[in-house]
Amino acid sequence: MRSHRKPLWTGGLLLTLLLQGCQGGLRPLPNLNQQLARLGSGQSPSLGSGWLALIASRDGGRPQVQLIDGQRQLPVPLPGLNRADSLPIQVSVDARGEHLAVVRQRDDRTELVLYRRSLMAVQPLAIEPAGVPRQVSLSADGRVLAVEVSRGGLWQIDLLELP
Amino acid sequence: MERGGRTTVLLQERSSGRVLPLRHLRDHQPHSSPALSWNGRYLALLVQQGGRRQAVIEDRATGRLQPLLLPMGLEPRRLSLAPDGQRLALEVIAGGGQRVELFDLSGLLEPDLAPGQRQSGGGEGALQP
Repeated sequence: MRSHRKPLWTGGLLLTLLLQGCQGGLRPLPNLNQQLARLGSGQSPSLGSGWLALIASRDGGRPQVQLIDGQRQLPVPLPGLNRADSLPIQVSVDARGEHLAVVRQRDDRTELVLYRRSLMAVQPLAIEPAGVPRQVSLSADGRVLAVEVSRGGLWQIDLLELP
Repeated sequence: MERGGRTTVLLQERSSGRVLPLRHLRDHQPHSSPALSWNGRYLALLVQQGGRRQAVIEDRATGRLQPLLLPMGLEPRRLSLAPDGQRLALEVIAGGGQRVELFDLSGLLEPDLAPGQRQSGGGEGALQP
């Protein structure tokens, strides 16, 4: 039974790919993509409602968290978030672009912080029991954070309710 | 989650803890970079298709799997789906470098709007209507 499922799935996928190809596939957003290209190399995208957070570095420079306002198609300032002594690894933004959760490396350790844009404030988030965060995902309403944490060689998912 | 030594995406309902079925995603591991729309209608992720990574979206309302065909030369590494499912951001490898590209999904997916949110006009400036 199982041996029949995979070919069907694969066949369906290939057929859909062909049909999708006829429809032209995804439609790039050229103006926004040009703006992103100006920021340099990019990684870790996170979409909100009208916002895009990412980590970007230009000409091999230090990576920084950037937040793009989709209406103005420009980065907005994030005072206090990007520091010379820290290296962002991953970022996630909520729908309103108010909260950004960031995993970053600082002083040889990996930490999880929450940035509140209206307050221009960075709040470290404790991980209990202790562990090393890797990936983070903020819910669209900004109330819950899912964090992938390494503990004793095991990867686990923590859910944090935010105040 | 690791299942049988293969990285597999699971969808769990927070209120009940119940693991929900994903009918199209039993195979094609490793899975990575899962992203849900507002109400959990759409689940976007990367799967393995032959020797390549493939971005797909499972529509849980219709049971349909939507493969996302990227322009030639772009290899996806990570993705993010806008809460309403109308935009996709991809971290891609292209020409030896990595960059982020944005795509419009409004021709492919119905909006999955937040409770109380009305649909309005979009355009490129609106990352999400």
